[in-house]
Amino acid sequence: MKKHLFAVIALAALGVASAATPQDTYVYMQSAVFDSLDPVQAYDGASIGVIENVYETLYSFKRDVPGEYEPTLATSYEVKNDGLTYVYHLRKGVQFHSGNPMTCRDVEYSIERILVTMPGDSGAWFYGDALTGYGNDAMTEAKKALGENASQAEIDKFLDAYWQKIEDSVVCDDLYTVRFNLAGPDVAFFAKMLFTAAGVVDSKWAIANGAWSGTEDDWKDWIGVDLRTGYLHNHASGTGPYVLVKWDDKNIVAKAFDGYWGEKPAIKNVLVQAVEEEATRLEALRRGDADRVDVNDWATVNAKVKQMSGVKVWSDPAWSPAGAHVVFFNFNVQGESNPYIGSGKLDGNGIPRDFFSDINVRKAFAYSLDQDAIYNDIYEGKAAWYTMALPPTWPGYDPDIPIRKLDLDKAEAYFKKAWGGKVWEKGFRVTITHNAGNTVRQAVAEMLKANIESINPKFKIDVVPLQWSDYLKAARAKSLPVWPLGWGADYADPDNFIHPFYHSEGSLAKRQNFKNPEFDKLIEYARTLVRPDQQEERFAIYRKIGRMAYDVIPNVPYPRQSPFIITRDNLQGVYYNSMISGDFYWKDLSKK
Amino acid sequence: MFNYITRRLLQIPVVLFVLSLIIMGLMQLLSPEQRAAAFVTSDKQIENLDLIIEKYHLREGFVVQYKLWAGEVLRGNLGFSRISKEPVLTTIRKRFPASMELALAAFVPIVLVGVWLGTQAATHRDSLLDQLLRVVAIVGWSLPTFVVAIWLVAWIYGGLGWFGIGRLPSSLLIELAGGDFKKYTGLFTIDGLLNGRLDITLEALKRLVLPAAALVIVVSAGIMRVMRSSMLDELGKDYVRTARAKGLAEKTVVYKHARRNALIPVITMAGPMLGRMIGGIVVIELIFNFPGLGEWAAKAALQLDVTTLLAFVMLIGLIMAVANLLVDIAYVVVDPRIRYE
Repeated sequence: MKKHLFAVIALAALGVASAATPQDTYVYMQSAVFDSLDPVQAYDGASIGVIENVYETLYSFKRDVPGEYEPTLATSYEVKNDGLTYVYHLRKGVQFHSGNPMTCRDVEYSIERILVTMPGDSGAWFYGDALTGYGNDAMTEAKKALGENASQAEIDKFLDAYWQKIEDSVVCDDLYTVRFNLAGPDVAFFAKMLFTAAGVVDSKWAIANGAWSGTEDDWKDWIGVDLRTGYLHNHASGTGPYVLVKWDDKNIVAKAFDGYWGEKPAIKNVLVQAVEEEATRLEALRRGDADRVDVNDWATVNAKVKQMSGVKVWSDPAWSPAGAHVVFFNFNVQGESNPYIGSGKLDGNGIPRDFFSDINVRKAFAYSLDQDAIYNDIYEGKAAWYTMALPPTWPGYDPDIPIRKLDLDKAEAYFKKAWGGKVWEKGFRVTITHNAGNTVRQAVAEMLKANIESINPKFKIDVVPLQWSDYLKAARAKSLPVWPLGWGADYADPDNFIHPFYHSEGSLAKRQNFKNPEFDKLIEYARTLVRPDQQEERFAIYRKIGRMAYDVIPNVPYPRQSPFIITRDNLQGVYYNSMISGDFYWKDLSKK
Repeated sequence: MFNYITRRLLQIPVVLFVLSLIIMGLMQLLSPEQRAAAFVTSDKQIENLDLIIEKYHLREGFVVQYKLWAGEVLRGNLGFSRISKEPVLTTIRKRFPASMELALAAFVPIVLVGVWLGTQAATHRDSLLDQLLRVVAIVGWSLPTFVVAIWLVAWIYGGLGWFGIGRLPSSLLIELAGGDFKKYTGLFTIDGLLNGRLDITLEALKRLVLPAAALVIVVSAGIMRVMRSSMLDELGKDYVRTARAKGLAEKTVVYKHARRNALIPVITMAGPMLGRMIGGIVVIELIFNFPGLGEWAAKAALQLDVTTLLAFVMLIGLIMAVANLLVDIAYVVVDPRIRYE
C-alpha cells in the first residue's frame, strides 16, 4: 500500500502546473484554425489575425479609432488625375525580416503578385477590379471573353494584353515612389490598400525561394494557382513588428523583430493556438495558461467567464463588428417547381413569384420581426442596433433612421392592404430558410413564423434549415423567397456594403432581384466621388440611401451581437478595431 | 511462421486497393456542386463554385477521378490536405506520432488495469469485490468519453491546476519552434530523452496523464469484463483442477496457468483496439487539445476532403492490418501450442 501512496504523491507532484505565462509572452487560444499565411491567399480571420502583425501595408488602421488611418510603409500619398492615379511616397530605411531593405520594387512585386495569381477563393478580386478591370484570373477571363473554343493564338493574345495591364498598373517612379494606375475611378482604392493582401512582401526573398519571379517569363505558370501549395503559405518575410518563427499545425509562434523600424513592442513572444473546444479554452484561461481566449457568445461570458478571478471582459457599447445581418425579400423568385413558394399562386397554398414586390407585404413582414427580442433575449442586451445594412461606426451610417419594431396591428393593416386585399382573404404559404446550425438565423425565422401566423390563421410559414452548401446554392439561384443572411466587410469602405446590398448589380441585391433605378443612380454617382474633398458628399449619399431603404425595404437589418474580448487581467493595451482581424495589434500589448 | 507473415503482408495492398475504391465510389453519390461547396468557406466564394468544380475535376466520372488520384499516389504524392493546409504526408508525419504517443500511453494502462481487475473479479466470483467491479465496469462503460474528458479538464486541470492540456506547455512550444530540438520520432517523450532534454520528456508525460486517464476509465471496462469471463472459463477446466490437485499454490494456478490461457480473447480484443486508438480518438484529441489523426480525419469527413479521407483510410487499413498481424504473433508468444504453417 505504501508503494501506491508514494506513486500517487509522485504523480501529483509531477502534475502541479505553473500558472501564468511569462511577462514577455502572449498566448492566444482561438477557436478557428489557420488557412494560409500567404497574404494574397488569406481571406479568413484566423490567418489575417497573424498576417497583420507580420506584414505591413502602406497605410494601416489607427488603433481604436474607426475610420482613421496612419502612414505605415508610406509616409504620404496623393490622388491625381481625377482619382485614376494614386502616388504613395515610401518610408526609407525599412528592413524586411530577412535583412533586405524595403523599396518600391517590393511594393510593385507584392501588388502585381495579387494581379497575376488572382486565387478565386481570396480577396484578390477587388484589387483586380480596381487595377486591371478584371475580377478573375487571366485564364478565366480569357475563357469568358473568347468562349470555350478559342484558339491558342487568341488566348495568347488575350493573356499578353492582360499582362500589359498588370505591368502598367503598378509603376515605380523611383526607389521610394510608387504609382498605381487604376482601370477606372474607385472610391475604395485607398481602403483596399489597407487590407492584408496588399501587405508588402520581401520580393528578393520570395523569388529566391521559388515564388513568382516578378517578370513576364513565368507569370503564366502562376495564373489562378492555389497559393496554399507555395513557399509563402507557411513562411514569411515582411516588415512587421513580428517575425514568423514557425507555423506547426495548430500552433503559430512569432517573435518580436529586432530590426523593426517603429517602436519596439513590449511582448517578445507570441503563441497563437487553435483550440477548438470552448470548455478547454476556458479552463486554460482560468489556469492562466492562455492570456486571451475566444468565447462564442455573451451567454457563455455571463454564465462562465465573469466569475473567474484574474480574468477581464473587455466590452463597450460603442463597439460594433464590421458586418451587417438582414432578412432578404425576393422580388421575383426563380426556379422551376420551387419548393419554397408552394403552389406559386396566391391561393392560400403558396405565393406568386413576385409576392414581395408589393411594399405592403414587405412592411407587414418588417413589423412582424421582433427586434427587441433579438436584442434582449438572443444577445442578452449586448448588441448593436442597425438602421441600415452598414456597420454603425462607419462613415455614411445614419443612426437617426427609425427601426421598425414589432407591431402586429400595423402588420395586420399592411397585410389587409397587400395585393388589393387578396392576401388577407386567401392567405398564403411560404418557406423561410436558414442555414442549419446558425441558431440566431433560426430564431429570426421562427419569430417571423410565430408572429405572422398569429395574425391570420390562413397565413402559413414553414421554417426549413438547409445545409450551408444548399443554402448558398439556392440563394445564388435566386430561388429563396425570404432568408436571413450576413455580410462581412472585405475592405474598410462603406461602398463594400452599399453596393452589394442596394445596387441592382450588387452581389446580394442581385439574388433577390431587387432593382431600383434611383438607388442605382445614386450609388453609381457616389462611386465617382473619389477626391478626398468629395468624401463628405459621398457619405451624405449613403445616409440618403439608408433613408430610402427605410421606405422601400429591400431588406430588414436586425441587431448583431456586440463584440467583447476575454483576457487575463494583467494584459494591457487591448482595444477593439473592427477592421483588425485580431481586434488589436500585438505590438500594442504589454503586461503589468 | 515466416511464410505466414509474408503472406499476410502481401494481402495489405489488396485491402488498401479495395478500401480506396469504396471511398471513391461513395463520393460519387454526391453532386459536383455538393462536393464543390465543401471547398467554400465564405459567402464571397459562392460566385466561384463553377471554377472550383472545374479546377478539381469534380464533374468527371469515377474512372477519371480514380485514375487521377491513383496516378499521383503511385508517384508518392498523396495530395494536399485542405483540412490541415499542407501536403497529406506532412500532416501524417506530424500527427501520426502524436496519436501513437497518446495511444501507447493509454493502451498500456488500459490493458494492465483491465487484466488485473478482470482477474480479481474472476477469482472473487460473486463476492462483494466482484459486484463492486461489475458496477464500476457498467459505469465506465456507460460514461460518454467526452463527459469524462471534460470532467478531468475542468476538475483536475482547471480546478486543481494539475497536469496540463496540449502536448507541451506554451513556453516549450515557443522554444522548440525556434530551437534546434531534433524530432527523431515525433514522440516528445522519447525525443526529449534522445536530445538530452529530460524536462521535455517530463512535460510531455505530464500532459499524457489526463487523456490517458480518461481512456482508462472508459475503455478498461470492456477488457475487464472479457478477462473475467475468459478467466472463469479457464478456472473451470480440468487442467486447473489437476494443478490444484497436485498441490500447486493457488497463486501459481491462477497467475501462471489459468491467466495465460485466459489472455487469448483479451489479445483478440486489444489488438484492433490499439489500431483504432492510433487512428485517433477524436473526442480526446479535441478536448485535451492534442492534435492527432482522429480530429483531422473527422474534419475531412465533415468537409468532404476526399484527398485527406483517402489517405487516412489507407493509413488505417495499414495500421489495422499490422495490428491484426501483431495479434496473431502475440497468440504464439502467449500460447506456444499455436503454430502457423
